[in-house]
Amino acid sequence: MSAEASSYPTDRPAATEQERLARVALSLLGEPGETKMTALVAELGAVHLHELLLGETDIEGLHTDVAARLAALDPARELEVADRLGVRFVVPGDDEWPSQVESLAGAGALHDRGGVPLGLWVRGPHRLDRLERAVAVVGSRAATTYGDDVASEIAATVASAGHVVVSGGAIGIDRAAHRGAVSADAPTVAVLACGADRVYPQGHKAMLDHIAATGAVVSEAPPGWAPHRIRFLARNRVIAALSHGTVVVEAALRSGALNTASWTGRLQRPLMGVPGPVTSAASSGVHEQIRLGAMSLVTCGADVLELVAPAGERLVEPRRGVDTERDRLSTRRRQVLDAVPAAAAAGTDSIARTAGLGVREVRGALEHLETVGLAEHVDGGWRLTDEGRH
Amino acid sequence: MPYASTRTVSLHGAIGHLVDVQADVSPGQSGFAIVGRPDQSLREAGDRVRMALVNSDFPWPATTRRLTVLLSPADLVKRGPHFDLAVAVAVIAADGQVPRSALTDVAFLGELTLDGGLRCVPGVLPMVLAASARGVRHVFVPEPQVREAMMVPGVTVLGMRSLAQVVAELNGEVVPEAPPVPGLSSSRLLTWRGEERLEEVDLADLRGMPDAKFAAEVAAAGGHALLLSGPKGSGKTSLAERIPGLLPDLGSEESLELTAVHSLAGTLEPGDGLITRPPFSAPHHDASKSSLVGGGSGQVRPGEISRAHAGVLFLDEFPLFRHDIIEALRQPLESGDITVARAEESVTLPARGMLVLACNPCPCGEWTAEARTNKCGCSAARRTSYQAKLSGPIVDRVDISRYVGALRRDQHDVFEPEEPTAAVRARVAAARARQAERYVDCSWRLNAHTPGPFLRDRWPLTGAGQKLLDDDLYGGGLSSRGAVRVQRVAWTLADLRSVATGRDVVPGVAEVAVALQLRKAEPVALSTARRRAAG
Repeated sequence: MSAEASSYPTDRPAATEQERLARVALSLLGEPGETKMTALVAELGAVHLHELLLGETDIEGLHTDVAARLAALDPARELEVADRLGVRFVVPGDDEWPSQVESLAGAGALHDRGGVPLGLWVRGPHRLDRLERAVAVVGSRAATTYGDDVASEIAATVASAGHVVVSGGAIGIDRAAHRGAVSADAPTVAVLACGADRVYPQGHKAMLDHIAATGAVVSEAPPGWAPHRIRFLARNRVIAALSHGTVVVEAALRSGALNTASWTGRLQRPLMGVPGPVTSAASSGVHEQIRLGAMSLVTCGADVLELVAPAGERLVEPRRGVDTERDRLSTRRRQVLDAVPAAAAAGTDSIARTAGLGVREVRGALEHLETVGLAEHVDGGWRLTDEGRH
Repeated sequence: MPYASTRTVSLHGAIGHLVDVQADVSPGQSGFAIVGRPDQSLREAGDRVRMALVNSDFPWPATTRRLTVLLSPADLVKRGPHFDLAVAVAVIAADGQVPRSALTDVAFLGELTLDGGLRCVPGVLPMVLAASARGVRHVFVPEPQVREAMMVPGVTVLGMRSLAQVVAELNGEVVPEAPPVPGLSSSRLLTWRGEERLEEVDLADLRGMPDAKFAAEVAAAGGHALLLSGPKGSGKTSLAERIPGLLPDLGSEESLELTAVHSLAGTLEPGDGLITRPPFSAPHHDASKSSLVGGGSGQVRPGEISRAHAGVLFLDEFPLFRHDIIEALRQPLESGDITVARAEESVTLPARGMLVLACNPCPCGEWTAEARTNKCGCSAARRTSYQAKLSGPIVDRVDISRYVGALRRDQHDVFEPEEPTAAVRARVAAARARQAERYVDCSWRLNAHTPGPFLRDRWPLTGAGQKLLDDDLYGGGLSSRGAVRVQRVAWTLADLRSVATGRDVVPGVAEVAVALQLRKAEPVALSTARRRAAG
């Protein structure tokens, strides 16, 4: 491993070289996140599984040409190539391994994807073991200007509060999320469906380069792999697993962001949704999840912080509308106010009769109403001021 | 026969009437009379002309004979000191000192001084335009206004310094020397740093706001009325100031119209040529009604709404404008011209600027619905009356409504350079060129001015697009006036799309959907607002 190309320190606890090479080889063998593979690794261990597969043992229906394919691989060379691209391979046992992804072991499968990743390919200085309170901000690629605005506000706010923002590096909400975090000069993590060395979409080169220089670009797929559609499903599971909670900003009823939301639910971590206009198709998926009680409704970064910060910290004061002078009146004084005419002034006696209260009390109340500017004394009687009429 | 006739122009708004000035010198009781509805300044012409003649060594016939000057047509009120030159030449010609044959095809514009010098007069350009339209081929104007008069094609302009020069020229004699004539508005005493500020601001100075910038581009491309609402300091004014920059240079017709308006207003500098850049006019909400829509005593002066013709009329905090002013804007918004009615006459001026309105949530601009963040000090009554104007008749005539939120650092996308004004202007110009081609045989130039029936019959939406619009109209989401406005904006979106793709796009579902969102202040798809980013 050449020291200049990689920021991966070699002087700290790490998985054995054998373990790492076995996991590289296995991850080159099939699609990222395939349940069969992740389950077998969980059951047998990567090194043992690797040996068994090399011995051409047909285990539970993995293809029999596996041994030949596996033998043709040179995992050490793959690591060297990755290293030259500035990409390191983080595996369980490494100091940097983000232990929160282990929860995937008990989170079942969706679309035949599931389980703990064999390892994560990482480009960028931010260590994956420093993501304890990371927040995923995801949503539709077909975002609206509203979603773009809210997502970047949320990302900027949570990033300023010290939470790393995780997203998928895609257009739309993902871009707004990364942009918001960058505006707070905070590291952000982009989890890609293609290799961590690749740029997809092409228009995001400047942004992904910036993230790789200040945060981390992460993928379960080895370097060089293309962004096949199927890989997004596995990718979504990694976004959810790396993060302490997930915010969905704009997702239509069929949106990949809801896949990320499902994984967050399965991992039993805070799942939040930003509402849009009820007429907006772009928010319909979020609305449905909120309606079903699966998501907590959040409207801004502060709301998100309340849910992802340690319990009891960063609580949001319950919001209330602006008090008017009328709101501050006692009920009996409001009764008097209702009896004061708007146009022609009326005498205290007449107001008292209308209000159904005693004259003495009404006289006091009227004086108070005058003090706060709701009623005025004219022509020997009382009437409402402009302010009192509203 | 001791009789001669010259011609000049009487202005009523931007309409110029050719006026015959006939002078008759007959035997009889000596004296001078001017008839044919002259106004006060014109009655004084007799005195100015007499002194000018005498001091230029011409005899004043009224000392020995009866001199009558008749202005026709008789039903028109004639006003303005620029009649002096025409009266003087008519008198000299009637006295036989200038051949009457030299007066055909000629018009005279200019005020006289007592020593026979010529003085500049306001409104030379519209007067020469009117004269040219009625077949006049030569005009005499005060020398500093030659450039203004020469903007009219097909007219020979003769710039003169004195009455003696004019007479010599008419007689084909050597033109005598005369002292130079000062310009109209005494030349500018005051210049200040930053007065050219609006020409220097660029769209790229504004960070973020993709939604509002997109709206500004669409509004500029089709000439649509735009409403920007949002809290104080969110960049509404900064954006509005940059909209004239998005507009292409004025076409020759618009340029002449606008220059004529400024000539009438007396705001045209002698050194200025045709105005070629779209104007920006931002009257304050304290402005009087006549300064806004036009009026004044005597000659009707064009108001801000006319001075923004072919440019941008920006009403910042428009709910603070007086009710009668807002009412007065309704008619010009629909018709593209403004009629100022007086007891004696009614004057029509062009007023086809693009309207940009801005408003805050309340008069002080600080109101928010939530107690913790609310810093508003306005009374409930003031706030209600402010917000009531947001549903008034003017807002119903707005094509594009946008909410501009408070500025935040995270809105700025550091990975994508902000687009400069010039790039947007190129697209706007191309979209406007498509409209000019489409409406070549029409009386309007832009989508925003296309009458509803024409849109229905000649330039319909696609079937599916029309259905989407009808669903909204019959579903109660839109007024029928609103539906026409949506259709106009859909055409502008199609024009911009055509420019981007190089194909001829007819507005369909996609354009109608976005036009509806723009009209109803709903968010638009990010890919639409940032279309250039998507390619």
